[in-house]
Amino acid sequence: MNPQLRVLIALQDILMLLRDAKDPGQKRVLGKIGLKIDKLETLETTREDLENQLSPSLLGEYRRATERYGRIVAPVIGSICCQCFVRIPSAIDSADDRNTSLYRCENCGMFLYWVDK
Amino acid sequence: MKLSEIIVPGRINLNLKATTKDGVLEELVNLLGLRTPVRDTILQTLRAREELGSTAIGKGVAIPHCRSLVVSKIIVAVGRSKAGVSFKSIDKKKAFLFFLIVAPPVGNPPGDYLVALGTVAQAARLLAEDKRYKKIRDIRQFMKLVEELEA
Repeated sequence: MNPQLRVLIALQDILMLLRDAKDPGQKRVLGKIGLKIDKLETLETTREDLENQLSPSLLGEYRRATERYGRIVAPVIGSICCQCFVRIPSAIDSADDRNTSLYRCENCGMFLYWVDK
Repeated sequence: MKLSEIIVPGRINLNLKATTKDGVLEELVNLLGLRTPVRDTILQTLRAREELGSTAIGKGVAIPHCRSLVVSKIIVAVGRSKAGVSFKSIDKKKAFLFFLIVAPPVGNPPGDYLVALGTVAQAARLLAEDKRYKKIRDIRQFMKLVEELEA
C-alpha cells in the first residue's frame, strides 16, 4: 500500500472514531453495552502524529477535503467509488498499481482505496 | 442478527497465547487473514479505540471494535485465553473471552455496526454467565454452545 495512502486511511479511521465518540446517540448505545468512551484528548494526539507524517501539500489537501466533506479517501467496491457512486474507468480499475500509487476519482476528487473482497 | 450467524470457524482461536492487551489485539486481527498493510491499519485503529477507554465490559469479556475503510463488510473474530489477560476491565478482573468486530465506514448512523455490537455483547454475556466456554476444547463445540445459548 502507498505509505501516504496508508496514513490518509488511518487518519480517516481516527476521524470516524472521533465522530463516533462524540455522537450522543452512539455513546448512549455503547454505554448500555458497558463500553465507556472518554480520554478524547489522546485521540487528538494520535491524529496530530499521523498528520505530521503527511507531505505538506497532501496535508493541505487533507485539511481542505476533511473540512468540506469529512473525508479524503473513498473506498472502491465493485469498481464503484463509494463517495460519489460513479464507476471507475476500467483503465484505472484494472491497473496493477492500485493502492500502491495514489489515484483519485475523476468525478469527486477523492483518493481511492480498492477494498479486498 | 445472531452471533452464530456472523462468526466463522476460521476466525475463532480458543487458545490465545498473548499475555498483554496489545498481544491479544494482534492475535485477533491475525485471525482475519488480511494482508499486512490492511492488518496494520486495523490494528492501529483498534489501539486508538482502546485509548478512548477499555473495551472490556466485565465478567471476563472484552469486545475490541472499530470501523475502518479497509473492510467492505462486518467481520468478527473470537478468541479465548485460558489464563486470562488484564484488559483494564470495568470490574478490574482479567478478560478470558474476546470478540473483535471490524466494520466498514458506511452507514450514518452506523446501524448495522451497532446492531452487531449489541448482538455480540448479548451473546458474550450469555457465554460468560454459562461459564462452559472455559472448558470447551474445539471450535465445533464452541459454535454449538453459542447456537444453544442463542436459541
